[in-house]
Amino acid sequence: MTIKIWKFFQREQLFECYQCARCTGSCPAMEVAPALGPRETILICLNQGHDRVVEDEKLWLCCTCNVCEDRCPQEIPICDLLVALRNSAARRGNIPIRLGMAIELLAKTGRSMIVHQLDEMRAHHGLAPLPPAPVDEVRDILKKTGLDEVIEI
Amino acid sequence: MKYALYLGCAIPIKYPGFEAATRLVCERLNVELVDLPFSCCPPPTSMKLVHYDSWLALAARNLCLAEEQGLDLLTLCSGCVNTLKEANHILKNSDSKRRRVNKFLEGHNHRFKGTIEVTHILDVLYQDTVVEKLLHEKVRDIPLRVGCHYGCHYFRPPKVMYPGELSDAESHVPVKMDHLLSIIGVEPTEYSRKFLCCGSPLGANMDQDAGYSITRQKLEYIHERNIQALSVVCPSCFEQFDMGQIVLARKTKEKRRIPTFYLTQLVGLALGLSPKDVGLDVHRIKPKKLLSGIDVA
Amino acid sequence: MPRFHDHTTDLPEEVFQLKNIDESSVSPGPSNDLRIGVYVCHCGKNIGGTVRCEEVAEYASTLPGVVLSSDSLYTCSEPGQEQIKSDIREHGLNRVVVASCTPRLHEPTFRAACESAGLNPYLLEMANIREHCSWVHLHDKDAATEKAKDLVEMAVGRATRLTPQFELTVPVNRQAVVIGGGVAGIQAALDMADAGYKVYLIEKSGSIGGRMAQIDKTFPTMDCSICILAPKMSEVGRHPNITLLTLSEIREVSGHIGNFKLKVLKKARYVTNECTACGDCIEACPQLAPDEFNAGLSIRRAVYLPFAQAVPSTFMIDMDLCLNSAGIVACDRCFQACAHKCINFADKDQWLEIEAGTVVVATGVDVYDPTALTELGYGRFPNVITTLEFERLINAGGPSSGELIRPSDRRRPQKVAFLQCIGSRSKRSSPYCSNVCCMNTIKDALLIKEHWPDTEIYVFYIDIRAFGKGFEDLFRRARGEGVTFIRGIPGEIIEDIATDNLTLLGENTLLGRHYRYTMDMVVLSVGIRPRKDSEMIQRLFNLSTDTDGFYMEAHPKLRPVDTTTGGVFLAGAAEGAKDIKDSVTQASAAASRANILMSRGEVKVPAITSRIDPEKCTACGLCARVCPYHAIQGGKELGYYQVVEAACQGCGACVPECRFGAIDQTHFTEEQITVQIDHALTRDPNHKIVAFACNWCSYAGADFAGVSRIQYPHNVRIIRTMCSARVDPAWIERAFLKGAGAVLVSGCHPADCHYNNANQNTARRVEKFWKRMEKLGINKDRLRLAWVSAAEGAQFARVIEEMERGLHKLTPESIQEDAEKLAKRSTGKSESS
Repeated sequence: MTIKIWKFFQREQLFECYQCARCTGSCPAMEVAPALGPRETILICLNQGHDRVVEDEKLWLCCTCNVCEDRCPQEIPICDLLVALRNSAARRGNIPIRLGMAIELLAKTGRSMIVHQLDEMRAHHGLAPLPPAPVDEVRDILKKTGLDEVIEI
Repeated sequence: MKYALYLGCAIPIKYPGFEAATRLVCERLNVELVDLPFSCCPPPTSMKLVHYDSWLALAARNLCLAEEQGLDLLTLCSGCVNTLKEANHILKNSDSKRRRVNKFLEGHNHRFKGTIEVTHILDVLYQDTVVEKLLHEKVRDIPLRVGCHYGCHYFRPPKVMYPGELSDAESHVPVKMDHLLSIIGVEPTEYSRKFLCCGSPLGANMDQDAGYSITRQKLEYIHERNIQALSVVCPSCFEQFDMGQIVLARKTKEKRRIPTFYLTQLVGLALGLSPKDVGLDVHRIKPKKLLSGIDVA
Repeated sequence: MPRFHDHTTDLPEEVFQLKNIDESSVSPGPSNDLRIGVYVCHCGKNIGGTVRCEEVAEYASTLPGVVLSSDSLYTCSEPGQEQIKSDIREHGLNRVVVASCTPRLHEPTFRAACESAGLNPYLLEMANIREHCSWVHLHDKDAATEKAKDLVEMAVGRATRLTPQFELTVPVNRQAVVIGGGVAGIQAALDMADAGYKVYLIEKSGSIGGRMAQIDKTFPTMDCSICILAPKMSEVGRHPNITLLTLSEIREVSGHIGNFKLKVLKKARYVTNECTACGDCIEACPQLAPDEFNAGLSIRRAVYLPFAQAVPSTFMIDMDLCLNSAGIVACDRCFQACAHKCINFADKDQWLEIEAGTVVVATGVDVYDPTALTELGYGRFPNVITTLEFERLINAGGPSSGELIRPSDRRRPQKVAFLQCIGSRSKRSSPYCSNVCCMNTIKDALLIKEHWPDTEIYVFYIDIRAFGKGFEDLFRRARGEGVTFIRGIPGEIIEDIATDNLTLLGENTLLGRHYRYTMDMVVLSVGIRPRKDSEMIQRLFNLSTDTDGFYMEAHPKLRPVDTTTGGVFLAGAAEGAKDIKDSVTQASAAASRANILMSRGEVKVPAITSRIDPEKCTACGLCARVCPYHAIQGGKELGYYQVVEAACQGCGACVPECRFGAIDQTHFTEEQITVQIDHALTRDPNHKIVAFACNWCSYAGADFAGVSRIQYPHNVRIIRTMCSARVDPAWIERAFLKGAGAVLVSGCHPADCHYNNANQNTARRVEKFWKRMEKLGINKDRLRLAWVSAAEGAQFARVIEEMERGLHKLTPESIQEDAEKLAKRSTGKSESS
């Protein structure tokens, strides 16, 4: 099944790219990791189709710092593109383990973090215990939005 | 001045000291805070990438809670402000997305109307009336050379994060934290690649080492300018610098350590609060020596 | 207790001023003596590939009055024209309809053909079945053919009502004005002056020379720029036919082709012509400012000469900087220092009035300010400079006397980087390619290599565009000299705190690898932009600008130096980014075009003026109030008003203003247009959009949509008027009464009207019609007002698409109902009056 990524992103925007590489030139992830980088991502989408990107785990090597979009002279909404591609990748099971775990935790607890002895720690700073998160409501909403198509919750 | 306080996850759970400092500072500066049963924002670095609809719906739920109280939403974290501000922007401007999201929420008696704004503690403190009050209440200066780190999600993309405040510049950069800190006697210090990412999301999702390599680069530029301390407005950035220096030192044998402050901790000190009041005692890199150098105890 | 008066109940119901179209003047068919010939052009495959031309010609033959109808491959060709001529003679044609391209292109061609066969040229009518039909409905042959039939029918209908017209001849003043003293202005002025005409060269700054004077060398020949320019500058200074006005700006323009009147503000120079440019005053002056000519890299005094080769070589005083402001002399050191006593603090600004037959606009360009790109550090890092600064830096007359040094420490840089496309090809600044930067950088790189061969040079580029004569050769030489070309613009520049060196971060896209280069100096190859003040000249001469902000030519291929304003021509980069050679070429072309007008000494103006019937005129004076040219004169004393034909520009704004039907516009008569409306709506009116488009912007915009092959719905029928202000509300009503689904009124953007803002009347009249529709409960969306410039083909298409979507909401019943409401209202009114 081919999943349409273009729901979140107008494909025509890609045609604006003339590969100046200001995006990758600014990309912090590109400097330290074998990331795909926005320029290559766009080029692969244009020349080989987005399937090639969606199947590549390097797609996830990104800081989501949005600097690429900020520097793009053609005002291509690169971040929207990357979100769309990663949503699509996640549906196909291409999702980093740690990220998957974080999503599961969120769905289970309504928060993205968990620690031991929370109440004591808060008391140390003169704070009242943290009221529990509205887990049932959060989980119900996530069921309706269809998160379990991607990750079992 | 009254806001719904959106704590997020990292601050109340991992860094309650920031929460304590913020509550004390806001009380002193006549900013009233209301607590509501919020959930995770959820972060632009996780849920948004995996499932956009879930991201938008949960954000909408949080926005609805504040809307129902008729209060603007005050966030303390760059990630939270990014999600909530962007979701608010999207839902206000897209009828189809608003309809879709309201369908998800209707079982819980929420309906997004688009009546409130989302703001960040830095923007709240930067308002004229608050600054006036701060000048009045300030009991001491904090004469340190401080490098500000804003956190990418606080200001990018600018057209969503601070519309109407755009200058002529084609690449927009924020200045509010530098200006605010100079009011409490801090010497805000420029450094190279000030707006480079801290590396946190890359580390959290994929590759811890790669994330810290970015942090290391950033720290090198910071050392270059003899900066004594860092100021941040985001718990993830904080962790990356505070914990990051410890982790990095194991490999690089770097001796220099730069303490990191959350913005309201520095403001709290200027208002006469003690380091313990603002939660500095639990930082990995202790600012004790630095603070005793300027007679803060 | 105060009493509030309810005003709303007191107001008389708004009387809607609308003259009724006299059916008797419209309805009878063409008289028997009409002999119309219709020619449907295939334009090769341009029309024939989409429209079935034979079918259209066959259809045309059935129309009343048509005695001859044929299709041909190229009607504009010599045989095509000959055919028309012989048909006129042999078949006694007395009207000719050509269905082909836009009348903006070939109307003059076919008019000339008619005239040479003895037919009055105003008896020609054209149907635009290329730009407005075949090119915009490429994929729907049936619809395009049907539309072409409609367009031909409309044209034939209009042709039946055409009458012969005779054009007025006006004299052309044999003096010219050139605006802007850069190389283009200099060339144009010299060419016209050499041809024997008197030329006024008007320059805003203190000297002529422009951008070319600032540049060190030219590409691709590496000539010294000022060495080849200076002789031309002095020639201007001493030419008996040229009056040079520096520190001067045009503030008012009136008149028209052949007879312009310009008001020029000549600012005080405070130094008299006796100045020998000895420079004694400079040392005396205590006031300092950055030197603009050296791009701010050096300083000048308040009294100064813009640059060594300046023409006129007379000093000037910058009064904003001088201590003597507001007439108070606080410092007279320069006066004391001047042996010839040339300093005159009492000098005053002067207003000059100049008459001219032709105008050449050569106002030049600005360069992009890269401060806005914060990541590159321009303005913060001293060693990041722009190309213009670099030109001054290596110029022998520049601040470093031609030594290559970097600003931070005045040391010679060993590694120099050039960054291309800064402020060009970007939606954030200028979307176009600035044309000169690639070659300029290559030239600069070679200059460095020539004098300091050990310097390492890196050019960071996206595409190297070396398209001109000798350009590729220069590019090859640069590579041969060891200049390194790296594909990929740096994302960020970092300054080293200790050395002031610059680190460039980016990606080499050809290797797919990240790079980090440390450089001693970085030159930003900044783009060219339209001048900030270009709007001023645009307004004064009613010029159009393209989407990039440059002045627009009358036709991009065939009239590249003409503007849409008669007698005004373009030269140099004001028309679009171009290099010196192209600027000079264009300047000579503009001068030549102006010379043609001046040498003939007279020009014919189109017979499209308004005429007032003194019998019907009640001397109310409403028409005179809306005339943008004060061409309507008369009054109560005279008993009527009349049109001064030489002053009337033919916008037609006055016609709809007359309640008594006393005014009509020649060649765009009420009757002619009404017939066009009726014929547009003979078949399936409910699904049609009647669009009124002004000749200069909106009709041209629709043409541009065609040229750009932008596809839009086929059910629009465009009717041309000279100005949107000609559109009579009665026409809108007529269209609705005949069952039109929607009506579009479109004109130039409010400030860009070609008739002195006549289109503000358009907006007023449409708004009034909307109010009326609202009152009657008619959906206002059925009438749309849109401003579409000649460059906005896409905008025109968008408007039509939106209107087409609106049509889906209508039903034949609702259209009928609305028409009845409108009809009832207008008959009711005529009964009561």
